[in-house]
This record gives sequence, structure tokens and C-alpha cells, in this order.
Amino acid sequence: MNIFLFCVMVSLTILIGAYLYRVLQGPTIFDRLLGHNGISTKAIILLIVMGIYFDRVDMFIDISIGYALLNLVGALAIAKYLEQKGHP
Amino acid sequence: MGILSIIFIVAGLFFLIVAAIGVIRFPDVYSRSHAVSLTDSLGAFLMLVGIALHEGLSINMLKILVVLILLYILNPVIAHATVRAALRSGLKPWQKGDS
Amino acid sequence: MTLFVFWILLSASFDWIHLSLGLACSFAVAWLNSGHSPFAPKFRLWLRVSLYLPWLFYKIVQSSLHLSKLILHPALPIDPQMISVETKLNHHAAVVLLGNSITLTPGTITAEVDRNHLIVHAMDKVSKEDVTSKQMELKIADIFRDEKPDL
Repeated sequence: MNIFLFCVMVSLTILIGAYLYRVLQGPTIFDRLLGHNGISTKAIILLIVMGIYFDRVDMFIDISIGYALLNLVGALAIAKYLEQKGHP
Repeated sequence: MGILSIIFIVAGLFFLIVAAIGVIRFPDVYSRSHAVSLTDSLGAFLMLVGIALHEGLSINMLKILVVLILLYILNPVIAHATVRAALRSGLKPWQKGDS
Repeated sequence: MTLFVFWILLSASFDWIHLSLGLACSFAVAWLNSGHSPFAPKFRLWLRVSLYLPWLFYKIVQSSLHLSKLILHPALPIDPQMISVETKLNHHAAVVLLGNSITLTPGTITAEVDRNHLIVHAMDKVSKEDVTSKQMELKIADIFRDEKPDL
């Protein structure tokens, strides 16, 4: 089971790399925002899997809840700001 | 219990990989946001249900379900905000005939 | 009340100091925010929404299988387009629920909401059918059939 969880963690990290390509390469700024959103979803799942792997689920789940809420506030603020600014 | 959770986690991982391929392949912001929403809705659901099954019936399982509900409420909001910002700033959607 | 349950769920400690602290905090937050939102959902509404959720989940699974088939297709046969939908819902919460359901279903995303006029970005013909067939809207109108219209 431990080896399986380790493989899941490694593949999640590779997927974060794919989204990071979109963040660095994206033609418009909204692509970067979208990539950031995807990365944070992956990071929430990665934190929980990591908690199972290290047998400290109770601590890591609290961290991931906080991360989800912070991600909402940050992404909404950036989206609102770009909407006001209004350039593609 | 172990086999079932492994099946769920592998299925979720499959959807996450498909969504990442979609994010790289699709041509513009609007269609990429569909790929990200595929990740959020089905991939994260299957992964977290698999982890909750592995964890068994305890307070941690309830907390994982709270994370799942939060993801389900918050992610459409973020996707909608991004797409609306893109639309209001005048970004044209990709049509079929474009390169 | 809901906040207190949430506190118990998050703190996961059951000695009386934590419980009383959580009770005080949740009452304070509820008192500070009372009178802010006029819409208080009733119990039968929650019941109907929880009956609606499995159907929504079935829809999500169906359309995400379709979307992953599109992504893995080597020729990428997508035909994205903007469609505008006029709904007959006359309740704020109903419009919010409809918009969230459309965005949560892969293949369709709500781009703009103006009272009950939605602009939806759809991926191809099949996802477009989901929105224009009005199936989801009829279900949500059925949920909110007893409420007082406020839009």
C-alpha cells in the first residue's frame, strides 16, 4: 500500500508539472490564472495523500481545508482585478 | 476495502491525467477551463472517495468529505469568475475554422 | 447551529472547554451576520436538493466520459460556441443552483449571469444539447415550486 501511495504522489507531482507548463507558457493571463487554479486543486489532493502516507491525516486535512479557502479568496481577487482592468 | 480504494484512486488518477492532457492540447481559455472543471468534478471526487474508503469510518473520513463538499462548492465559482473576467475583457472564443 | 456542527467537525475534540468555546464563537458569528441575507432555506428544500444531487452526479459522470473521449481523440473534434439561454426561474437561489450545476458539468460553463439570462460556453453539439434541452432547468423549477418568487 505504501509503494502505491508513493506512486500516486509522484504522478500527482508530474501532473502539477503539466499545469506549470500552462502557467509559464500561456498566451493570455487568464491561462495562467486557470493553471494556478488547477495546481491548487492538485495540491489539495496531494496534501491529503501525503497525510495518509505519513500517518498524520488529522493534521494534513486541516492544512488542506485552509489551502482550499485561501485558494478561493486569492483566485476570486485576481479574477475581479483583471475584470476591472479589462485588457486581454 | 483495500482493493476498492485502489480502484477508486486509479480511476481518479486516470481522469486527472486526461484533464492535464486536455489543458495542454486545447486551443483557448474557454475550452481549457472545461478541462480544469473535468479535474475538479470527477477526478477529485474519485480520488477523495478512494482515500476516505482507505481511511475507514472515523472523524478523518468526515473531514475528507468536508474537503470534497468545499471543492464542489468553490470550484465552479472560481471557474465562472475566470471565464467571466476573460469574457468581459473582450477575449474572443476560438471558433472551428481558426487555425 | 450549522456553524457549531462545523466547529465540532473541524476541531474533533470533545472536552467541554472546546465545546463551549465553539458554541460561543458560532453564536457570535451567527448574531453578527443575522439580517444580512433574507433567504433562509427551509427543511423540505434541503430534502428536495438532496434528492436532486444523485441525478446531477449521474449527469456529471456521463458528460465527463464524453469529454475525456473528446480529449483523447487524436483529431480533437471540438466545436466550441457561445449560446445564450433564457430561463423561466424566478428565484435567486434557483438561478445560483442552475449556474453552479451547469459549471460543474464538464463541457458547459456559465460565462455571464444577468438576472435570469445566462450565457453558456459549450464544448460541442452533445454538451450543447444538455443545456438547450431544459432538462436541468425543469428539475430545478420543480425543486423551487413552492417558494415565493423574488426576482
